Amino acid sequence: MNRGIRWVGYGIALAAVVFAVVLASRFGTDPGLVDSPLLGQPAPMFELPPLEGGETISLGDLEGEIVVVNFFASWCLQCRNEHADLTSTADAFADQGVTLVQIAYQESPPASLQYLEVAGRSPSALYLADPGSRTAIAYGVFGIPETFFIDEEGTVVGKIIGESDALTLGATIDAIKRGESPGQNVTGDTQQAPDG
Amino acid sequence: MSERLRNVVTIGLLVVMATVLVVLVATSPTDTDRVQAIGERIKCPVCQGESIANSPSPMARDMMGLVAERVADGGSDEAIVDELLASYSGAVLLDPPARGWTLLLWIAPLVALGAGAGVILWWRRHPVEPAPVTASDEVTGRRRLVPLLVLVGAFAGIVVVAGFFLQERAGPATGAADLAGEELDDVSNETMEAVIAANLDDPEVDGMRLALAERYYQAGDYRSAFPHYLEVAESDDATESQAVAALIRLGWMAWDGNAEVDAAVGLFDQALAIDAGSATARYLKAQVLWCGAAAYEQAAGLFEAVLSDPELPEESRDLVEADLAAVNSGASCT
Amino acid sequence: MLAVLGSAGMLAGLVGAALLVRRGIAAARSDRPANLEGAVRVLVAGAVVAMGAMVLALLTDDFSLVYTANHHAIATPFPFDVATAWAALEGSIVLWGLVLTGYTWLVFHLHRRSPDRLGAAALAVMGGVAIFFFGLMITVANPFEVCVQAADIGCLESSPWPFAAVEAPANGPGPNPLLQNHFMMAVHPPILYLGYVGMTVPFAYAIGALSLGVPGPEWLRRSHRATLVAWSFLTLGIVLGAWWAYEVLSWGGYWAWDPVENASLMPWLVATAFLHSGIVQQRRGMLQAWNFILVISTFSLTILGTFLTRSGTINSVHSFTQSAIGPALLGFLVLTLVGSFVLFSTRSDLMATSPRLESLVSREGTFLVNNLLLSVYAFIVLIGTTYPLILEAFTGTQVGVGEPFFNRLAVPVSFLLLLVIGFGPVTPWRTTEKGLIWRRTRTSAVAALGAGLLIAILVSRNGWVVLAVTLGTFVIATLLGLLWEQARKRSMRTGDSHSRSLQRVVTGDGAFWGGQLSHAGVVLVAIGIAFAGNLGEHAETDLSPGETTTFQGYTVTYESPFRKTTPGKTIVGARLTVTRGDDVVGIVEPSWNYFGAQSVVGTPDVLHRPGGDLYFTLRDLPDEQGAIPIAFDTSPMIWVLWLGGLVAVTGGVVAMAARRRERRPAVEAQTVDV
Repeated sequence: MNRGIRWVGYGIALAAVVFAVVLASRFGTDPGLVDSPLLGQPAPMFELPPLEGGETISLGDLEGEIVVVNFFASWCLQCRNEHADLTSTADAFADQGVTLVQIAYQESPPASLQYLEVAGRSPSALYLADPGSRTAIAYGVFGIPETFFIDEEGTVVGKIIGESDALTLGATIDAIKRGESPGQNVTGDTQQAPDG
Repeated sequence: MSERLRNVVTIGLLVVMATVLVVLVATSPTDTDRVQAIGERIKCPVCQGESIANSPSPMARDMMGLVAERVADGGSDEAIVDELLASYSGAVLLDPPARGWTLLLWIAPLVALGAGAGVILWWRRHPVEPAPVTASDEVTGRRRLVPLLVLVGAFAGIVVVAGFFLQERAGPATGAADLAGEELDDVSNETMEAVIAANLDDPEVDGMRLALAERYYQAGDYRSAFPHYLEVAESDDATESQAVAALIRLGWMAWDGNAEVDAAVGLFDQALAIDAGSATARYLKAQVLWCGAAAYEQAAGLFEAVLSDPELPEESRDLVEADLAAVNSGASCT
Repeated sequence: MLAVLGSAGMLAGLVGAALLVRRGIAAARSDRPANLEGAVRVLVAGAVVAMGAMVLALLTDDFSLVYTANHHAIATPFPFDVATAWAALEGSIVLWGLVLTGYTWLVFHLHRRSPDRLGAAALAVMGGVAIFFFGLMITVANPFEVCVQAADIGCLESSPWPFAAVEAPANGPGPNPLLQNHFMMAVHPPILYLGYVGMTVPFAYAIGALSLGVPGPEWLRRSHRATLVAWSFLTLGIVLGAWWAYEVLSWGGYWAWDPVENASLMPWLVATAFLHSGIVQQRRGMLQAWNFILVISTFSLTILGTFLTRSGTINSVHSFTQSAIGPALLGFLVLTLVGSFVLFSTRSDLMATSPRLESLVSREGTFLVNNLLLSVYAFIVLIGTTYPLILEAFTGTQVGVGEPFFNRLAVPVSFLLLLVIGFGPVTPWRTTEKGLIWRRTRTSAVAALGAGLLIAILVSRNGWVVLAVTLGTFVIATLLGLLWEQARKRSMRTGDSHSRSLQRVVTGDGAFWGGQLSHAGVVLVAIGIAFAGNLGEHAETDLSPGETTTFQGYTVTYESPFRKTTPGKTIVGARLTVTRGDDVVGIVEPSWNYFGAQSVVGTPDVLHRPGGDLYFTLRDLPDEQGAIPIAFDTSPMIWVLWLGGLVAVTGGVVAMAARRRERRPAVEAQTVDV
């Protein structure tokens, strides 16, 4: 019995050590960060109306193009910061088989349109509404901004979580054009709701 | 009433009551709100730990709307959950599935309960007489204690230090690039265009413009190079050498692309106004004057000025001397 | 100036703690009289000065301190400005230090006239823990850093040197809006800490006993009351936290199995097991090894809980911002766990002084089962909380573990516990004569099933509700039966009247009956949870001003929107009138609270009714036409939950205040023993 007790004590001590090492290994990682299961999978189909209304546009209409899907809202600080970069990237790659699709997230179309009036639009980009957040759900959006990269075959090959800039966006597109799969890139925090 | 009778009556009463109760509960109408039940298994991705069924956030309500839609269409519980898993990954499940790694979670409590019960029963059967405590026990105990505690302290220290180091590497990879310092070889022209267009206010952008314009220039695409060189030449933030470089290229493109002699010369003069000693500006200006305006004397003067620069590299010296000789001999340029 | 004062306080605390450790160990080793008073005084003074400096800085808007600059705003009203002292990480450590020194002072005064080796050893251990926390304060979590480079709001750069050149900002961002919504912020954390930190006392005595090689009930006896105090505060803290979440944070829920909530539940469960198991050791001398394991685990779980809350390794609503404190806490946790259990193992030969367990059907047996159930319960909560972390560390897979998992396991265990609570008090020590338990419980069993049937017929046939009422009635009826039986026996023996006997029985063994009161409280909690959790109704609708809707027999009219501005926040909400028939039942004002620099927080409003609460939440801001989406919820009988919690705490207080029983070694006491 005494021996049993002794081994129980040592056993718990050892378990504590292992437990502590495991916990320590988690330092420096973001517990909220999730690896997107969409990478390498066919991109979820969507069929959404433009913000101004009118006929819906589907992902299938963009077949053969590299499609950059960005979720945004006017209440999101990082989205505002990256907007100019997205627009200039859309302009620069307009004739290169790349289409930017910006989808409003948790925001009414009038609010998004008002924001875009001031922030600017690219003539070659598409600005769509997402009623019921079906597309945001399908793409597994945890917060905005999140930007997905779909290659010419319709596979999700890249994702940027957080605020991006023209260099990152362009470099990602360049990589896809070379046939690479850039994968997931975390650049910063995302915002989950208007109140922070 | 005798004790025995009382017991019988009580037991009978208990049995009857229990049976009725069980029947009542078992036949109660179970309000299976499938949508609610599924919703309680999914974590709201934009909240902290709440299920989409219980969270007030709009995103959660939208997700519940999706679940309701699927239920109405006749989807099975598992199919709906799998659909959400395919988008969000397993991290969004509140209820760990009873397979794979999480099977451990289902089993461990039962194992713990069984083990505990086993220990109790074993202890009941095998009690141990207390060992007499002798003085030597206490002494050896203490002697073993100190080195063990030192070991423990050392280990705790290692954990702490390791933790600090691991934390140093913390933070997500920042994608914001330093414009000036980036490795630009792999970057496409379009990307550079986009970066420039997005960073017009950044004083570093002129360097990038020059780099991009140089690419276009080397590829012979003067049309694309032109606006960038122009921007650099007119920019307040550009350094002198950047402005000079831009003006020189503009000058040459004006001559080489459009055969505009006056414009070209004017641009070279602007370059020389900034950097009077620029050998390249002089040389090219001379070339244009020689080839375009047949101004032999001016051209010769400029060639001589170039040659008088003591820092002119040897290979260039030969070239310029040859040109000077050709001009002086009155030959037309080739 | 306050930075200097505060830093001096922290240093004094550290010095006092070090002195206490040194002198305590010296006193424990020898039989010479110890002079620990000086060390304790310095320690306590240091902690008081540090906390005082912090509170003063907050009250006087002293933004030269980084802590004030980053967490306080001029507009923050009282008492939230004081509560800011523990709203953020560094301040919470100062609070911990203050409470710890308070308990140290208490232990010092329980320290007998010298020589008292055990008391000195216990004080040394408490000093050791204090060294860690004051060390944390001085190094990684320094609340008295001064601001050397200010931003418009808040501080950009800081320095730990209190004499550095200060550049104070004009204002700070203020505390997190969620923490400014309710006065509970000023109350809940200190009470919770009084519970958490109090568990250091029995731990200190246990380690002292192990180090000195003197097991046996003395360390338990001396720390028992402190354990009761800490347990009562911990219970109160958890109940208050649940109430706060329910009333204010618009979750509608009082418990979400959030990692930080679990961090407070785990020590509570193990502490409860320890309390019970300690009784067995004091009475019969057995379960000694188990008690050591339990008390070390309790203390370790408080440290683990602190670690999980502050290290950033687990996502939680409660998380403090991540800082370098994580590795330090982890290191301390390892040191505590490994050191204590290694010490325990080297002393294992002193453990087995247990007399035989004569029969499982005995009070000792029920305590054993109770221990097992509570420990398994704590284990379930532990693995559920840490499994995602562990799994991701090993395999990289990400899983979520939430409410469904915990409820599935916790509910059956809780019901089993209720059963044990019912049988335990009527089971005699050592052995039970045949039929005794049956005789004592047969009537209450009938009463229990009767109550269950009543509920099933009149209220609801929901299985959980019925089970909770049945088991709850069983427990209380059995208890009352026991009380009656003892009073009767006493009356027959002494000739007193029934009521006098009743009174005497209860006061004669305050510890036992205080405990039973707590059990009754637990029963009420179970019933409250069962009703509120299973019989609640929910509805949502959009209401425009002037519109009316009905819900659960009440008529709700949207009177008007309103807007209030107070210093620090703007409140935008809807005024609703609730009527039943012709009577106005109440006016509720669910709202959104806008806090200046930071954000918006939804605030529900609750109408308390005898049958349960009506809960109103605004789902979204009003649309262009002014219609607001409103959610209605009912929480039937939820007041039973809160009442039960308070009753449980009261039971603990009663037990703690009870006269000490005469300790007779393992002999059936005459009057109150069963």
